Amino acid sequence: MKSSQGYSFKNTPKSVSISITGACNLRCKYCFYNNEMEQLRDLKTDQWLVFFKTLAELSVMDVSLTGGEVFTRKDLFELIDGVIANRMRYNLLSNGTLVDAQVIERLSQGKRRQRLDYIQISIDGASAAVHNLSRPDSFDGALRGLKLLLKHHFPVAVRVTINKHNLQDLDKIAAMLLDELALPAFGCNEAMPIGSGCRSDQEVSLSQQEKLEAMRIMKRLAQRYPGRITASAGPLAKVKMYDEMERARAGEEIQLGWQMGYLSACGCIYQKIDILQDGSIVPCCMLPELKLGNILSDSLLDIWQNHPTLDALRNRRSVPMAEVKGCQTCEWNEVCNGSCPGMAHQLTGDFNRANPEDCIRLFLKENGIERIQDAI
Amino acid sequence: MIAGERSINYQINPDVVLREEDADGALLFNPDTNDVKVLNNTGLYIWKCCQQKQNQEKIILSLKQEFEQVPKDQVEQEVGSFLQGLELAGFLVKSE
Repeated sequence: MKSSQGYSFKNTPKSVSISITGACNLRCKYCFYNNEMEQLRDLKTDQWLVFFKTLAELSVMDVSLTGGEVFTRKDLFELIDGVIANRMRYNLLSNGTLVDAQVIERLSQGKRRQRLDYIQISIDGASAAVHNLSRPDSFDGALRGLKLLLKHHFPVAVRVTINKHNLQDLDKIAAMLLDELALPAFGCNEAMPIGSGCRSDQEVSLSQQEKLEAMRIMKRLAQRYPGRITASAGPLAKVKMYDEMERARAGEEIQLGWQMGYLSACGCIYQKIDILQDGSIVPCCMLPELKLGNILSDSLLDIWQNHPTLDALRNRRSVPMAEVKGCQTCEWNEVCNGSCPGMAHQLTGDFNRANPEDCIRLFLKENGIERIQDAI
Repeated sequence: MIAGERSINYQINPDVVLREEDADGALLFNPDTNDVKVLNNTGLYIWKCCQQKQNQEKIILSLKQEFEQVPKDQVEQEVGSFLQGLELAGFLVKSE
C-alpha cells in the first residue's frame, strides 16, 4: 500500500466534504467561491442520495455538508437522513442566519442530532458594526442562530476568520464567545486572497504588518484562554509553526507533525476528498480547478486510488524544499514545509510550490525583524 | 470459560461500519456513538465470522484451525473476552 513519510494512505476516503449547494443568502467579502464556482448547478436530491450509497460502500465514516449555505436547500433534512441511512456521521458548515425554531425542531428528529458532530457558524465580530464589514447584513441572524443552537444544546463550532476589519476586535470576539456565550472553544483562520477574496483583497486580506499584529494578539489570547482557541491555519497556527522553525534552525531537536525540509504541510489528501455542488470530484475545496472527475460518471474509488493528480499531491511530501522553485536558495528551506498546497496552487499555479502567504523569509523581511518570537 | 457460553450467538449491529483501511488491519466504527475499535488481522477474522452469523463455539473452532500454533485454552479465553468487549461497546448484539 502506498504511504508517504508517515502518512498512511487509506484504501478508501475516511471523510468526504460535500458542497451540496452553490446558493448562498450572503455575499461575504472573502468567500473562496468565485464566479465559476457560483455558476455550477446543484445536483438534485436523488443524485445525492445515490452518491451517499456509494459512500457507504466505501465505508466512509463522516461527511461535511457545506455550500454555499446548506440551509438554503429545501431538501437538506432529506439529505441528512440519507447520510444517516448510509451509516455515516455528519457536520454542517453554515453562516447560521437561517437557523430558527423550525430548524431546531427538525434537527432534533430521529438520529439527526445523535449523528451530528457539530454545526459550524462563522462569527467575525463582537458587534454588527465589525462582523458585517466582512459578512454583510448577517450579524444579528448569525448570533441569533448560534444562541438558538446553544440553548438547545447542539454541538456548535464557531469559526472566526481574521481579516483587516476585525483585527482590533479580536479581544472582544474572544470575550463574547468564550466568556459571555461560554463556548468551550472556537477556531480561527485568516481571510485569504482567493475566490471572492481576490476581488476584495485590499479590503479584507491582512498586510504582512497586520499579520504580525494578529499573531501578537492571538498569542496573547491563547495564553488568556488556554486550549480554547484552535487554528490549523492563520495567525495563531503561524505562532506555533514559525516558533518551531526558528527553534529547529537554531539547532533544537523538536517533535513535529510534519517533515521538515519537504513539501509536507498537508495530510488531508490521505484520508479526505471533496465534492462540489455539480458532482465534480476535487482534491480539496481549495483546489476547485483540479477536477478529477464527476460522481455522476466516474468511480470515486478508482479516482481515489489511481488518479495521477492525487498521486502527485500525495507524493508532494517527498519533494525537498531545496528543489522547490523559488525556495532553492532560501536559508529557511531545511526547516520549512511549504504550507498549504491549495494556496500555493491558487497563488502560483503549481501545488508543488510553497504558499507565498506563509513564507517566513518574506514575513521577516517585510516586517523588518530578525526573530519572530522576539517580535510577538 | 463456562461450557454453555460457547453457544452464544452474536449479531453484528447493522449500523456498524467495517473499514479495511490498509494492509495492517481494519477498524470498526459505530456512527451512533462515534466509537472506533481498531482490529488486528485476528480481530478482523473474528468479525468476518460474526458477519457470517457464526456463533462463539464455531468461531473458536474456526480460529483453532486457522491458528494452530495458539494454545486452545488461550483461543477460547481471548475470543470470549474479545466478543464480550465488542458487545459492551455496542458493535455486537447478543442474540438467543
